[in-house]
Amino acid sequence: MRLPTDFYKIWAFAARSALVNRRNVFAVFEMLFWPGVAIFSVGLLTRFLKLDPETVTFILIGAVSMNTIQIAQLDLSYALLYSVWAKSLKHEFMAPIRLTHILIGSGLVGLIRGFLVFVVMGLLSMWLFDMDLGRPGTGGLLIFMAGMFLNAAIIGALVLALVLRFGQRAEVAAWAFSYLMLLLCGLYYPVSVLPPGVRELAQIIPLTYFLEYFRHFYGFPLHSTRPLLYGFSQSVIYLGLCYLLVQYTLRSALQRGTLLRLSE
Amino acid sequence: MQPAIFAEGISKSFKTGFFGPRKQVLHNVDLEVSPGAIFGILGPNGAGKTTLISILATLLRPDAGQARVLGLDVVQDAGRLRERVNLAASGAHFLWCLTVEENLRFYGRLYGLGGRALVAKVEELLELFELQPHRRVTFERLSTGLKQRLALAKALINTPELLFLDEPTTGLDPEMSRHLRGEILRLNRDAGLTILLTTHNLREAEMLCGEVAFLKEGRLLARGTMPELQERLGLGDHVSLFFRDGAAAVDYGQLPGVLTYNLQDNRVDLRVDRGEERLAAILEAVSQPPGQVIKVRLQEVDLAEIYHEITH
Repeated sequence: MRLPTDFYKIWAFAARSALVNRRNVFAVFEMLFWPGVAIFSVGLLTRFLKLDPETVTFILIGAVSMNTIQIAQLDLSYALLYSVWAKSLKHEFMAPIRLTHILIGSGLVGLIRGFLVFVVMGLLSMWLFDMDLGRPGTGGLLIFMAGMFLNAAIIGALVLALVLRFGQRAEVAAWAFSYLMLLLCGLYYPVSVLPPGVRELAQIIPLTYFLEYFRHFYGFPLHSTRPLLYGFSQSVIYLGLCYLLVQYTLRSALQRGTLLRLSE
Repeated sequence: MQPAIFAEGISKSFKTGFFGPRKQVLHNVDLEVSPGAIFGILGPNGAGKTTLISILATLLRPDAGQARVLGLDVVQDAGRLRERVNLAASGAHFLWCLTVEENLRFYGRLYGLGGRALVAKVEELLELFELQPHRRVTFERLSTGLKQRLALAKALINTPELLFLDEPTTGLDPEMSRHLRGEILRLNRDAGLTILLTTHNLREAEMLCGEVAFLKEGRLLARGTMPELQERLGLGDHVSLFFRDGAAAVDYGQLPGVLTYNLQDNRVDLRVDRGEERLAAILEAVSQPPGQVIKVRLQEVDLAEIYHEITH
């Protein structure tokens, strides 16, 4: 890294993401409206079903995680989609930038937006549904957040690779991937209720372990002996693989002319 | 002196569809451009102009051949090369919701500019392209001409040594095209910028380019300066002589520099190599007795003729 030029290149993507979010009314919806609707609807459902406080917390943790990850991954996923929509992709790659500049710059804004969603939803859960968000302590909260953001980064990087390969058609993947992952990792239910075969798939998703780790502070049993070791090691491996995949698709895009096609 | 662009045997093909055959877009193209030149690549739509310029601009990798721009390999040294070149293309496209100033700042940062250096560069470009009144206007609200001016401003954000212009005036009205051409000439003259431009506008190429190359169906058919091409193709300037009482009785085919001639009553049309240079000698030969020639018209060969000769 050559500071400060690398810093400016990272800042370019961070500032662009921040400006687009500021000017986009849907960004407010993404950060406040939908998370608010999610907490209300899920929380009220638990009240209607007269669930015990532990189960309510179990489900609310799922709702908070889902929205936090969804928002955090969006900025990374959109990093290239903005350029595809604007047809300016070739100008971005004409500049002497590296993938790390895009990933870190856009990821930073995603991290901030995800954090804000987590805080908003956490406060609503505490205020409206008596969830004790502070029980895991600062360490537990930070580890859980780190796990969520790592998972968001994996989804975001995967979408980047798909955008470089398939262009605008990959837009739908930005949403589909996270929903598929969240379905399998036991968001609103323990993974033990998943059918055999699918249950094993949950074991290769790092979020499964982070959810399990966070929920054990609320009295739910741990199914794996070292959830953090599995969660973090899987996250690092997937993130590394995704980085290599994005690099490969970029090289392939330079060969196939995808950058030019996506700029027309 | 090392050429600004040196390409040898560049070939490129693309797959057509998932199972379709590959389409050869460039065939073994060689190119050499001197530093400080404005070099034009001419050709009809689909000739491979954009593909060639994209390879030289590091946005596309060739299947075969090698290219060096500013002494750097376009594949191996792409990162270092990108710091020293830039590109503006027809139909400017930038992020719709960013203002003119924000777009310039974004690209400035991508080239590693920041702080006062970035502010100064953005101000300089806003002034140069008369974009200050529009600095806070979002890209989507700009007129086509302003968008194109922004594209050119963006292309200068890193003070490049070489600029790629891919059909820079396509879609612009005549007044804006004229303005942009003036800017291109000024940049070349004042900043010594080497410019490689693609166009299918022959008038534009004639006005801007010292040297041109003709591309058709991915093959480079000819290259050179206008006089070189004219000589190579045996194309002469048009000289028309109008007489008072019938054409002078001379052997027009033997006059200096005459390639062909056509006699009609009081008028003779000659095709002459280097017409301006030969005119005095021709007039002397046909003006016996003096006063017989009442009008002379000299029309230099233009790029359109050369283009037609080469591509048909």
